[in-house]
This record gives sequence, structure tokens and C-alpha cells, in this order.
Amino acid sequence: MSDLRLLSGPDLRSGSESHADHVRRLGAPALAGRPLVEALVRSGLTGRGGASFPAGLKWRAMAAASKGAAVVIANGAEGEPQSGKDRLLMATRPHLILDGAFIAARTLRASQVVIYIGEEHGAAWTAMVRALAERPEFERRIARMAGAPHRYVAGESSAAVHLVDAGVATPTTTPPQPHQRGVGGAPTLVQNVETLAHVALIARYGDEWYRSAGRRGAAGTILITLAGGVKTRGVLEVEAGTTVAEAVAMGGGPSEPAAAVLIGGYFGSWVKAVDAWALPLDAAALRAGGLSLGCGVVGVLPASRCGVCDTARIMRYLAEESSAQCGPCFFGLRALSDACSRIAERGTNRDDMARLKKWAVEVPGRGACKHPDGAVTFLRSALSTFSDQFESHSAHWRQQQPA
Amino acid sequence: MILLSGVVVLGVLSSLRFQSAGWPRFLTTGLHRNLALMTLVFLALHIVAAVVDPFTHLGWLTAVLPFSSYYRTLWLGLGTIAFELFAAIVVTSLLRGVIGPAAWRAIHWLAYASWPIAVIHGFGTGTDAWSIWFLALSVFCIGAVAVAVAYRLLQPHPDPLSSARSEFRAGVSRKPNP
Repeated sequence: MSDLRLLSGPDLRSGSESHADHVRRLGAPALAGRPLVEALVRSGLTGRGGASFPAGLKWRAMAAASKGAAVVIANGAEGEPQSGKDRLLMATRPHLILDGAFIAARTLRASQVVIYIGEEHGAAWTAMVRALAERPEFERRIARMAGAPHRYVAGESSAAVHLVDAGVATPTTTPPQPHQRGVGGAPTLVQNVETLAHVALIARYGDEWYRSAGRRGAAGTILITLAGGVKTRGVLEVEAGTTVAEAVAMGGGPSEPAAAVLIGGYFGSWVKAVDAWALPLDAAALRAGGLSLGCGVVGVLPASRCGVCDTARIMRYLAEESSAQCGPCFFGLRALSDACSRIAERGTNRDDMARLKKWAVEVPGRGACKHPDGAVTFLRSALSTFSDQFESHSAHWRQQQPA
Repeated sequence: MILLSGVVVLGVLSSLRFQSAGWPRFLTTGLHRNLALMTLVFLALHIVAAVVDPFTHLGWLTAVLPFSSYYRTLWLGLGTIAFELFAAIVVTSLLRGVIGPAAWRAIHWLAYASWPIAVIHGFGTGTDAWSIWFLALSVFCIGAVAVAVAYRLLQPHPDPLSSARSEFRAGVSRKPNP
């Protein structure tokens, strides 16, 4: 149940699958070009980097804009601290990702493919370099590797473009979006590596096959990362629409009674455990409930840990990860983080509570990228999920790792 | 001159990011902007009044083309230049979203040219230039700008955003792979 499609095949512990084994197991992709784009649209596949944007629509826009000089960036930066699914996929199934990237290059008439990998993901980097060397010459000729600096914003799509273009992994103002004007001004597809791996399978088996997995009306499979208070942490492949409770059960269940679940990573939302268990892990269903699947992190907060302290710790991290380009993000997140930390360290006070509520409204929408918006989404979910704890927090600061 | 000097002083002070509980930062920039727009209105009155004055017969060309006046060619020309620099600064400020912050900033430096040229224009052609009240006013305005500029120059760069940004960019900069 945890290795349905992307992770099926040889034992993951045996490392990266070779090109020969990969081709023997899966054959060559059949679909490309326009039929593939339409199959992607029908499949309902969404981007797995965090924004859950429909992949088919992005490809369609790219195909219309491409004049033969387009660029494809396979995004394996995975800066989300709790997520591990991209690096696991890169380290074990590199050729699924490369298939997807080169299918994209052919379909979108791209002249360049960039494999963008977090510099700290050593095993993933090694596997992808080795896999690239096994590809045919006409693919190797247009491909190259680029390292993503170990910062949260480095995986943002305009930051990836900026690194390839100018060697600086900071987000730039959008619009124009990269798929309109990206590397060197050319339309650029920045697509998460998991998304590309799904494309590689849809190009073989079609969109109907893709939709044949999925529960409660959702389509396909997703990679999720179980983090925090679960018996077995790590990456699982589950059918879309699987509930949080079912996914956690696959990880052996909670390690102790749970208080809350952080869904979608640091740009995601805290949900009280009682409300979280029944939530389906599916981008559309979560969005309808005001939540987001993000990069698929399910972080369980045990009842013995303090949600306020963990929130303060994560807010501090997100404030420090601001690239300091936009004042509202740099100063706003720092002010919010300081207020959170004061509450965590010295206990609740009315002034800081009022500041948090006031500033949380003023910061979103005022950055070049969505960093401030994501951080504030996270903070506001904490203020509502942990409202009792925020109102009555005593002066303590637990030195503990984020859930 | 009072208005223009006020604009310059506020502009210089806004770069210091002065603020207190009773004077948030946007007051400085807001006052700077409104005062500048008001200056433009009074400046337009000044120019129109000078042009339509039947005594000098300056003509409209003088208002836009420097040194085209037969009458006090140099001093009026300086006034025209100061006006045009000022107009360029106001127009680019209104269009800042279109031209981008870098171009806007570059043109905004012209303020340091516009203001002294305007002051010299006042001394050169002002009919009351050497009266006591005008001298007193000039000393006050020049002093105010001088103090503000000196204060600004003596302060270390007060922008934490700028230094944090440089630091961050240095950390995420990579030479592109060949």
C-alpha cells in the first residue's frame, strides 16, 4: 500500500534503479506531444511542489508559448524541512523523473533541461548524476545539473529560474510567471520531480489509468511524508483521498496521543487531531476546506508537546528564511516571530496577542513571492487551532525539535 | 523656496528611517510627497505669473527651453533647469510602478541638483534678493538642508533590509555550472 506506482519495483533500500532495469520494467513512454498534454489535463494531475497547480494547464500554456527555445527545470530543491519524498524519489527512481523531464522537453520543444537539486541532498544528487550519464546522448546534450542552496525559498519556481539565469536563488517578482517568461526570457516549465515522475507513468498508461487509483473521488497517488509523533516516520505513496488517519496508521499509528496535525508543511495549516483524522489527502478536497496539501507533509503533534512553542519555533525559522527582498516579508515576519517567541518564552500577554492578530492581516499579499503569505497561513491556523493555549500560555520554552 | 527646501529636508530625513511612537515612518514620506506636489502647484503659478507678466515679455519658450530668454539669460535659464529637473522627479515618482525602482532612484538623485540651482536662480534674479527678509529666509532654508544632509552623511547606513538582503544573496549565489 505504500509503494503503489512511483515507488513500485525493486526494493527501495537497494538504491537507485538503473536505466536498463527501468526500461525492462516499464518499457518506453508511448504518449508525447499534444495528446499527452490533453491526457495530463484530463488526468487532473496537480503540481507536487506545494502550490498544487494543475500540471496539464501549465503544459498547455507552455506549449502555446514555446517557440523551440523553452526550458524545463526539474525541481528537486525540496527545501521543506519535514519533507523527504523528493529526495527519496530522486535517490531510488531517478529515471522516472528524467523520463518526465525529457518528455516535457520534447512535448514543449525545449532546448534545455536543468535538474535542480538541493545541495544537501547528497544521495539524490549522486543518483541523478549517475542516471543522467545512462541516458542517450541526445538527451544528455541538452541536460545539466544545478545545485539549489539550502534555503527555504530556493525551491520557489522563480528562484529556480533566477539561479539558472543569474546564479542567485532568490525569488523574483511575478507575473510574468516562469511558464510565460523564465530562463533567458524563454517560457520555462518549473515542475516538481514527483510531478514529472507521474507524467512519465501517464505517458505510458494514460490518464484513465492514472485516475483508476484514488479514493473518495480523488485521482491518482501522492507521495507523503509522515513526520513528528508517528511510530514510523518517512515517505509513503498513498492513493489520493486516503485520510490522514489511514496514512498515519500505515506509519504504525501515532507514537502517543496526538493533539494536532500540521498538514502541508510549514506553509500548511495546523488542524486539531480530532478534526484531522477524517481529512482526505487530496489537493482539491483540502482546498475546499481552506487547507492545502502543500508538499504532502503530515506532521503529527503529540499531546505532550506544546503547540505554541512549536509554532514560535517554526515562525522563527520562516522569518529567518525570508530573502530580505521585500520589507513587509522581512520586517513583518520578524515582528510576528518576535511576538510569538515572547508569548512562548514569557507567557501570554495581551499586547502580543493583539499584534499577532493585527499584523497577520497586514502582511500577506505584499511580497514578490508567496513566502509571507505561506508563513501567515501557518500562523493563523496556529492561532485558531491552539487558541486556548495561546490565551493561557505559561512562561516556558521547550527546547524540542519541530513536530 | 521654503516649500522646496521642506521637500528636500523631508526627503533626506526619510532615508534615515526616523520614527517614534507618535511619528510613524509613513508620515515623513507622506508629508514629503504632499509637500512636493504642493510645491509643483506653486511653482506652476510662479512660472505662469512670470510668463504673462507684460513687463518682461518672456514668452512660453523661456519656461521650457533654458537660456532662451533675452532677459537675464543665465539666471532665468537656471530657473528653467531647476523646474525641469523637479518636474522630471515628480513625473518619475508618479510613474514609479512603470519605470521600476532603480530608474526612479537614479532620477531622484537629481533633487540634489534641482534644489541648489533653484536657490541660485533666486539669488540671481530675485528682485528682493538682497533684502534682509529674503537673506534671513535663505539662510534658514540653506541651513535646514545643510543640517539634514550633514546628519544623513554622519549616520551609518540605517537599512537592515539592505544588509540582510546582501547577506542572503551572497549565501544563495552560485556560479552557473558550465
